[in-house]
Amino acid sequence: MNTQRTVNMVAAALGGEGGGVFTNWIIDVADEEGWLCQTTSLAGVAQRTGATIYYLEFFPRIDSTEALPVMSLFPSQGDIDIAVASEISEAGRMVQRGFVTPDRTTLLTSTHRVYAIDEKIALDNGIIDALSVRSIAGKYAKRTVQYDMQKLASEHNAVISAVLLGAVAGAGVLPFSKATYERVIDNTGKDVRSNLAAFNASFEMASAAGVEHWNPSQTDAPDSPFELPAAHNRKGSEMLSRLERGFAPPTHEILYHGMARLVDYQDDAYVVQYLDHMKAIFEQDDGSDLYRLTNETGRCLALLMSYEDIPRVAQLKTRKSRFDGLRSEVQAAPRQLLTVTEFFRPRIEEIAALMPVSMGRWVAASSVCRWFLRPFCRGWRLQSSQIGVFLLLYIMAGLRRFRRGMFGYQQAHEQIEHWLASIQAVAPVNLQLACEVAECGRLVKGYGETRQRTSAQLAKILKRIGQQPGILPDQVAALREAALRDDSGDALADLLAAP
Amino acid sequence: MAERSFQHEVGKLRASRGEVFKGEGILAVTKALLESGVSYVGGYQGSPISHLMDVLADARDILDDLGVHFEACGSEASAAAMLSASINYPLRGAVTWKSTVGTNVASDALSNLASSGVKGGAVVIVGEDYGEGSSIMQERTYAFAMKAQMWLLDPRPDLPSIVSLVKQSFELSERSHTPVFFMMRIRGCHVTGEFLANDNIAPEYNSNSHLIPEREQEKIILPPNVYDQEEEKLTKRLPAALDYIIQNKLNEFFPGRHSQLGIIVQGGLYNLIIRALQRQGLADVYGVSDIPIYVMNVAYPLVPDEILDFSQGKQQLLIIEEGQPDYIEQGIQTVLRRAQLNLRVYGKDIMPMTGEYTGQVMLEGLTRFIEAADMPTLERLLDFSQVVSLRSPLSEPDQQSLLVNVPQRPSGLCTGCPERPLFSAIKQVQKELGPFHISSDIGCHSFATLEPFNLGNTIMGYGLSLASSSALRHVLPHKSISIMGDGGFWHNGLSSGVTSAVFNHHDGLLIVVDNGYAAATGGQDLPSLVAPNKLIATTLDTDSPARNDAQSIENACRGAGVKWLRTISTYSVDTMKATLHEALTTEQEGLKVIIAQGECMLNRQRRIKPLLKQSIASGKRTVKARFVVDSDTCTGDHACIRISGCPSLTIKPNPDPLRTDPVSYVDNSCVGCGVCGSNVHAAILCPSFTRVDVIFNPSPWDRLIGTMRRGFISWLQQRQADHQATRTL
Repeated sequence: MNTQRTVNMVAAALGGEGGGVFTNWIIDVADEEGWLCQTTSLAGVAQRTGATIYYLEFFPRIDSTEALPVMSLFPSQGDIDIAVASEISEAGRMVQRGFVTPDRTTLLTSTHRVYAIDEKIALDNGIIDALSVRSIAGKYAKRTVQYDMQKLASEHNAVISAVLLGAVAGAGVLPFSKATYERVIDNTGKDVRSNLAAFNASFEMASAAGVEHWNPSQTDAPDSPFELPAAHNRKGSEMLSRLERGFAPPTHEILYHGMARLVDYQDDAYVVQYLDHMKAIFEQDDGSDLYRLTNETGRCLALLMSYEDIPRVAQLKTRKSRFDGLRSEVQAAPRQLLTVTEFFRPRIEEIAALMPVSMGRWVAASSVCRWFLRPFCRGWRLQSSQIGVFLLLYIMAGLRRFRRGMFGYQQAHEQIEHWLASIQAVAPVNLQLACEVAECGRLVKGYGETRQRTSAQLAKILKRIGQQPGILPDQVAALREAALRDDSGDALADLLAAP
Repeated sequence: MAERSFQHEVGKLRASRGEVFKGEGILAVTKALLESGVSYVGGYQGSPISHLMDVLADARDILDDLGVHFEACGSEASAAAMLSASINYPLRGAVTWKSTVGTNVASDALSNLASSGVKGGAVVIVGEDYGEGSSIMQERTYAFAMKAQMWLLDPRPDLPSIVSLVKQSFELSERSHTPVFFMMRIRGCHVTGEFLANDNIAPEYNSNSHLIPEREQEKIILPPNVYDQEEEKLTKRLPAALDYIIQNKLNEFFPGRHSQLGIIVQGGLYNLIIRALQRQGLADVYGVSDIPIYVMNVAYPLVPDEILDFSQGKQQLLIIEEGQPDYIEQGIQTVLRRAQLNLRVYGKDIMPMTGEYTGQVMLEGLTRFIEAADMPTLERLLDFSQVVSLRSPLSEPDQQSLLVNVPQRPSGLCTGCPERPLFSAIKQVQKELGPFHISSDIGCHSFATLEPFNLGNTIMGYGLSLASSSALRHVLPHKSISIMGDGGFWHNGLSSGVTSAVFNHHDGLLIVVDNGYAAATGGQDLPSLVAPNKLIATTLDTDSPARNDAQSIENACRGAGVKWLRTISTYSVDTMKATLHEALTTEQEGLKVIIAQGECMLNRQRRIKPLLKQSIASGKRTVKARFVVDSDTCTGDHACIRISGCPSLTIKPNPDPLRTDPVSYVDNSCVGCGVCGSNVHAAILCPSFTRVDVIFNPSPWDRLIGTMRRGFISWLQQRQADHQATRTL
């Protein structure tokens, strides 16, 4: 019996990546090279953000009088010669589905990530472990060619489909010449130059001897150790030397970033305040887990101390670096005119936070004041590229010199004291528990209602820790995880209510 | 105009005798219709047959040249009713839809058509939406063919077979006076291939050459005709069909050296069984098989003579039939028992009862059959356990790791979709007045039932959401809420929903999502056309002129007696929230209808992108908007994503060395629809969202103002930077 068989290729792509364009190119290349190519796809699914696969089979066209091969419409497990994935987790999905097998399959995959909705909606970090997907995918393929194809596409201002085509051509998995691929791209007559450039760059990557064959051990190498940058002025050098003398080297990196953040946020005295707090914590730290207690507390404390009030937001929004960033983000030409519109919706609480303590407290509680301030508490659309608005923001940013007297400052620091006190209370008894309590500091974030909700959650957890002296570190970690599970607060409430 | 332009394909439809036609399966069917001399074509779009409708909609001039009448019908029922033209007259006609949902809608007309019988060939191209990629409940069209006595063709999925069987369907229909289903599976619709074209044939009758009206009393569906028609179905039409099928060899026999075995397979599954045989070393690449195969390109009716011929001298038989119930297997068993042929028949006992027959399923089934047949001369390459191990090569730990690390990618609303702000608004109102029970419908808006919105409790069918809320409205703690698309509204929702609800003093809320197109099926035109509102996406004037023949949803509702009616742009989240609030709390009795307008962004972008490019190139002042998230102020809570789910609103690693949670990030696919900004205001989110308008070809005034602003702002920024330099470590 004739033992010839078809060459089978499966391509996984996401909506809008031009998977259809990619398959049409391949059909044309095969046709020009005298091969039959049959493709199938599930049209329509991909366009609306889903993942989809295209399936292609190839067979040489021998003689038109001869019978035609019978080709399958389905990719089958263990029956794939070439698997193409436009994104690394999609490569993982193909391995999962059995379309990548060590006996036959060459896997061509991009290593970049396109985040899925579940990763995006997490309250903290929901990103999957792409490195483990990469190493598993590599393990089950006969041969793997992988590099960041999205980066190549962006560099050449092309779509990723052109890069995928270059990978197929460069990896030499189909017996077609490079010239034919180029001719086919040329014939499409659309974005030819950028697509050809991307195709060629990818061809080089895939065909070069030094293909980025990924080796897990490379990335395990530790980063170079942190070195304290030199001070910029006298006060800076005083503070840095206090850091150097007073704290162990494994804590320097985080504390340095914390200090830099706070001097920018307020002033030198604020840094001193930070270091005073941290000194107390550091003295309770026995250094276990590379000074986890000091590092975790230092990280969260700097963030809590630099809470985002109106002056802070105005400060960040008026910076030159921010305007430059916007320009590059929207890919505007260097001198091109831009209008920048900010969307603000302050609440009474944010306005009261700017006032002196007693006045702020009174305003926040008074329904009459609320009524008067209501006109300010609406959606504001402000063009910060206008002189008037910019000036207003600039003045707002300048208000930070009065921050220490503000109601908002008092509230934020009450919370900080409470949290620090909890850490310090448990540290002598159980250092690990102290670490978990410290990590709860990261719960507090966001603006407006989000900040209120997350602050309340921290308060609830601290209260529980205070009421339950024998609480275990794992239990605190569980409470923290529950707080991060949903934004209704149900998971935490359920866990707190559980006997 | 559908979302994909078929100009290129339209050209192919002109191919004449001897030219090679290359393209998709469903386009081959379209060409075959023209080669068959159809007089009329109609249908209702839906995957996987949308392309048939789209390409014909773009091919008006070819159809006009031939004198073929084409109609984008209001529903599958309208399409099926079109076929009545073939009852009295020798007119060939074809209609198409997604099945089984479309067949269900069409069934009233189809049953009557099948009873009357036809004179001209009447063919229904059904896109059998079963298996991977399907968007509907899993059922078979087969049952309908059986109960109404319509023939059902399930062709081998290669283009020459498909094309010749389309033509033979018309002859079969005419010879047996019976309408025919021509079933195309999803992958068969989208498979690419080639065939030798023939000339298109113009129908005998058209607007220039009229027929003479004729009456045949016996074709009318009234007693006593209906009794005779039932009799005729079995005594005349069926035998005529069987004769035609046998004489013209619609079903195919492939011999094999193991003549004591046999495989009976539906035409649509032929390629898969051949691949399974190849992988077991029992067939070659051209389909030459060691085991004889009987291919049923006509899946209904069964042809007893052919089945008996094939089974003669065989000891063991494998029937490959996808889906349930196992009608074909039961039918074949009956044929064999009646003839007292005693051979072992394998079918759903060794093949799965439900689900799609994929390559792996087929290979497993075939291997079970080979092992059960237990013949020493029958060798195979893989035994059953080897075949099963192909399901996954993964070790247990790797399998577990991938389970966690390969994220699901459910379908969702596109970037800038006008439905997103609507669901954001509903989600926010639900916080105040909820929880809600929502009756959902078919359309893009069904995706609101998924993350991140999780809105919607039931989907009952196209345009049936309002009707499906009727029995709940007296037991819900809130006014019942139904959501329906404009497609569903015109398909069915106006009559079975609005009219019925007003008549029955329904007090609930109906939200009609009016995006201007049948968006979920590929952006086909609808009777109503949304008034394109000026989104902040572009300040370019892209309003298309209002269609003078547009039928308005608002007027239709008023005509049906709706008193409380509001038309609102979805992009205005605050107004939408207030209106929803009012609708759900008002004392006014009767049905409340909110028409939520916003043009489908996919179609809008397709429409305005070339205009935008043109405008920039021509030197006209043009503004392009998009959104940006400030990573400095974003704290990584992602509330903005949970309320929107826009594909262009994503995340990236936090640039801040102290923060570990990723920040929100707007990628370059942003179309500047403005929902992010609207949500900041409506849901009181953070101040991180910024809209940036990029001005192309600025006017002298723009330049003057721009220079002044830049000068002043740079000066202040420098001042700030100098000051900041003193506050550093």
